[in-house]
Amino acid sequence: MDERYSRQTLFSPIGKAGQEKIRSKHILMIGAGALGSGNAEILTRAGVGRLTIVDRDYVEASNLQRQQLYTEQDVEEKLPKAAAAAKRLRKINSDVEIEAVITDATPEKLEELIQGVDLIIDATDNFETRMAINDVSQKYQIPWIYGACVGSFGMSLTILPGKTPCLNCILKKIPIQGMTCDTGGIIAPTVQMVISHQSAEALKILVEDWEAVRTSFVSFDLWRNQYTSMKVSKAKDAGCLSCGENRTYPYLDSENMTKSTVLCGRDTVQIRPPRQQNIQLNDLSLQLKELGYKVKGNPYLLSVEIDEQRLVIFNDGRALIHGTNDLTQAKSIYQRLLG
Amino acid sequence: MNKVLFFAHLRDAVGEEFITIDASGRTVADLKQMVLEKYTSVNLENVMTAINEEFASDDDMIHEGSEIAFIPPVSGG
Repeated sequence: MDERYSRQTLFSPIGKAGQEKIRSKHILMIGAGALGSGNAEILTRAGVGRLTIVDRDYVEASNLQRQQLYTEQDVEEKLPKAAAAAKRLRKINSDVEIEAVITDATPEKLEELIQGVDLIIDATDNFETRMAINDVSQKYQIPWIYGACVGSFGMSLTILPGKTPCLNCILKKIPIQGMTCDTGGIIAPTVQMVISHQSAEALKILVEDWEAVRTSFVSFDLWRNQYTSMKVSKAKDAGCLSCGENRTYPYLDSENMTKSTVLCGRDTVQIRPPRQQNIQLNDLSLQLKELGYKVKGNPYLLSVEIDEQRLVIFNDGRALIHGTNDLTQAKSIYQRLLG
Repeated sequence: MNKVLFFAHLRDAVGEEFITIDASGRTVADLKQMVLEKYTSVNLENVMTAINEEFASDDDMIHEGSEIAFIPPVSGG
């Protein structure tokens, strides 16, 4: 053990005492895509005590360009990402207790999974789950690290309950039509840069070096050579419903969640977003066509073919996913394309 | 005058990394309106705003020489 972590303990802000702290901590990783793979690998190698990794998808060929834990064999076997990740991580470091949870990270599930956890890392692909993570973090006073990327653009923010503003203070509401990797593309270096920010923050939190924790919202564009670090302390809002004085944790309330319903006998799932949206169907159609999707449409709806399924989206944000009865799969397809 | 920086897809929609515009004495909301009038394909609805690298709200005032950045939250991961 001493030899294994020697280079990390030689780094003075960690040291032997820090290594023992890392060893005693439990991380909850929400998502096992690109950010999840990279963060999980770094923290597994760093020797964290326990890692719970949660994901609802299976490995696909289009993941291999950037999701570093997966192989062609995982694609052939259509392995769930959480299971494929756990298999690889256990080979990397058998000291770490790795738990794979193949599920949709609903608010209910998050409240169950957060028990005994020291830190949550956001590796999801949608703001609905992030806002639920944000609320659960505030409710149980557990820090979390937001990270996201698209194209060559990435961002990260560390949220310490009771100390920093929360994501709801900053965004106020769930952004609509956030760009996703399935609509805007992604290059691996962007992923790695976000992972570097998130995992460095994670190490600071694990060793309890609170002074070192970044208090600004970092964003960068690796292709356009932009980097900005925005101070956010004044964003902390006493009236915030997630972290303010009269908090209600709105995103743990199922009323505010995307509704999915299986339409009987039609092999179709209907997805309804929590708020009515106004989607620019023309823009979305162009984006999806550029990416090679088969898209047909009229002023009221777009029809997109995705493998065996067909997604029909209306401009109020409601969608029908034909060719499946699986709510989780349908929601996953929806959020992949619409964020 | 004020330098206004655009990040991610906002930069593509505007076609420039930054523009120079006189927004002193105006609020962030006013500036957004000015940008929208000039660049009709930009969507500033959910963007975060920084004034001199500090988080700003729609009703925050912009002063002469301040640098503004519009940063869209993204969801990929």
